[in-house]
Amino acid sequence: MRTYDTIPPGGARRRSVLGGAAAVAAGFALAGCGGGAEDEKAAPKERKKGQKITLTFWSWVPGIDKPVDLWNSKNPEVQVKVEKVSAVNGAQYAKMHAAIKAGNPPDLGQIEFPVVPGFLLDNGLLDLTTVGGERYKSRFVGWQWQQSVFGKGVYAIPQASGPMGLFIRQDLFDKWDIEPPATWDEYEAAARKIRKKGAWIETFAPTNGNRFAGYAWQAGAKWYAAEGDNWTVAIDDEPTRKVADYWEALVKQKLVKTIPDRQNAWYKDIQTGAIPAWLGASWGDALLVGNAPDTKGTWRAVPLPQWTKGANAQANWGGSTTAVFAGAAYPKDALDFAVWLNTDPEAIKLLIEGGYGFPSAKTGYKTSDLDVHKDFFGGQAYSQVFREAGDHVDTSWQWGPGVDTLYQRLGDAFTEALSSGDSFRSVLKKVQAQTVSDLKGKGLKVESGG
Amino acid sequence: MRRPTRTEARNARAAAGFLLPFLALFLLCFITPIVYAVWQSLHKTERTGPLGLGGAEREVFAGFANYAQALADDRFLSGFGRVLLFGAVQIPLMIILATVLALLLESASARWVTFFRSAFFLPYGVPGVIASILWGFLYVPGISPLVKMADAVGWQVDFLSRDAVLWSIANIVTWQFTGYNMLVLIAQLKAVPQELYEAARIDGANARQVALHIKIPLIRPALVLTCVFSIIGTLQLFAEPMVLRPLASSIDSGYTPNLHAYSEAFVGNNQHLAAAEAVLLALVACVLSFGFLRLVGQRGKGDGR
Repeated sequence: MRTYDTIPPGGARRRSVLGGAAAVAAGFALAGCGGGAEDEKAAPKERKKGQKITLTFWSWVPGIDKPVDLWNSKNPEVQVKVEKVSAVNGAQYAKMHAAIKAGNPPDLGQIEFPVVPGFLLDNGLLDLTTVGGERYKSRFVGWQWQQSVFGKGVYAIPQASGPMGLFIRQDLFDKWDIEPPATWDEYEAAARKIRKKGAWIETFAPTNGNRFAGYAWQAGAKWYAAEGDNWTVAIDDEPTRKVADYWEALVKQKLVKTIPDRQNAWYKDIQTGAIPAWLGASWGDALLVGNAPDTKGTWRAVPLPQWTKGANAQANWGGSTTAVFAGAAYPKDALDFAVWLNTDPEAIKLLIEGGYGFPSAKTGYKTSDLDVHKDFFGGQAYSQVFREAGDHVDTSWQWGPGVDTLYQRLGDAFTEALSSGDSFRSVLKKVQAQTVSDLKGKGLKVESGG
Repeated sequence: MRRPTRTEARNARAAAGFLLPFLALFLLCFITPIVYAVWQSLHKTERTGPLGLGGAEREVFAGFANYAQALADDRFLSGFGRVLLFGAVQIPLMIILATVLALLLESASARWVTFFRSAFFLPYGVPGVIASILWGFLYVPGISPLVKMADAVGWQVDFLSRDAVLWSIANIVTWQFTGYNMLVLIAQLKAVPQELYEAARIDGANARQVALHIKIPLIRPALVLTCVFSIIGTLQLFAEPMVLRPLASSIDSGYTPNLHAYSEAFVGNNQHLAAAEAVLLALVACVLSFGFLRLVGQRGKGDGR
């Protein structure tokens, strides 16, 4: 699931706060801290027959109200109340972590795959196997189910993923006589041709750790591994170095921009054709349609360029789950809702219309259902591209705790490297060391791999 | 010992009645958060269990470990350096500008005084976040009319580049707070007895001399006050870099000390370290503002006042 980062974060007036973090501490104090994990492990309550309850659900997915309304009309006894949270710069997770600490989290929450382990660290999520959650495994795409499995526990119900692909402006590529690149070498050649026409193929957004992880994932990197009691961190591994070298070369030759993506300046470039391509994910269709409506009909989706010609290595960017928080008063009902939301054909149809990504459920929809913006892509059955990408994502990729911090560290280090001219390899080295010490600081047993 | 009379006792009760609500609020809203922040800063979280997940979590006493970690962090320290540089340039500029505007608007020949006063003050009514978004649009290449105009005359500007972005933020802050400071200074100018001006004019002083030798020395307390507010405000710089961060590849997550603490608390999920950083920030703000007050206080005595 993408994050919607066009709205600014809320903030206090500069002169009226007493130091941000101090104010934050005040918030915790007033909310009554404590509420530790221990008291939350009380036996889950069973809803009595006929008893009416209301579950709260924190989400930022546009159009989520519609499937929830459908559920509410079908389940008068278990009403779900959606509370929208801001998904800017991870504000939604900050809010969830704070609520967990304060002991009053909602019943359900929208959580992206990479941050699930971070919530486990807080004992924030309910192990769904305690209420029979493992029964639903067969209804979901295997690797996506696996993203929330740690040890014997199942910690979230997968909702959607984001297989990656390359969006291109077919009209401009035709005009400039450029074939859609099938390999990264061809991509670089295309970038060179496009630069000669005065445009830029893309931007290497230094702060977009999500997308960089996708590139590394495709190249065969494995940033985290959990074995026994140990975590292994390998951000500075051979595949990631290959990716870093590749993008560094593009940046140094000035073949790509270095502005942030999915921000005003980038949208402008997308609208005007100054950037005629985007290495995006399946959910990117809605983003292009919403922000560059005048380019209707000119876009196509093609598979991600490959490292070796004819290979079929794919990657995933984003993807989210519906999780039940530890301490939910009626976990069984919460689980029922989470499963229904993500497998019921009608619910999925409504979610697709809202533009939420690529369903994690195996059944209940056809790929053609996803082609909601077909006209925008000149009639191309573009979801097929992502469907096939989704089938070839390396399923052994695993996320570890503290991915938010990792992305921030990567962003800071890339930002620094771009201005100082340091090598991208030094970025990986630095972030590797920082991540190991971050996890140690959280009291985990960590080894450095790679 | 004399027994208190009934009136005295009643007075004491009445005083307590007035004081208690204040004291309660003071304790709850002011003292408690500070004590809690200090307490947090002296503790850390310890985890056990397989993979560190799903196991027990407890708070243990950490002594000054969080402070040591904060002070060993280059990025936290360079954030301090950045805001100090910012303050050294932006505060004098803004205060001078505010003083000039105040004197101009309060001079005898000023026209449209109320209109200009409100116009200059207006930006203060715009929340910092909104102001930053607004200026953000004027800074972002491809959208900004300013960049476009500069481009048209062959001047390549990038307001969000690494070298420029700090001063682009300074511009937002100056835009926002000059009018506010101006108003404080005008309020003090209004309190100056008119006879002083008359006496100066009778002595043959021109407008410039009146401003330099009478008005400015007399609004000195207001100048000191606005400076102290600005010092504290500068150290707390947060909203502007926070809002511009997604737009600019040149602002990192520890750009200012406040942003660094925020990132530690909400991205790194390490409230203990963030609390230590907040306490350090408060200490520096204390030292700088009291230091400034002492400095100008002593010079004030030297003037024989």
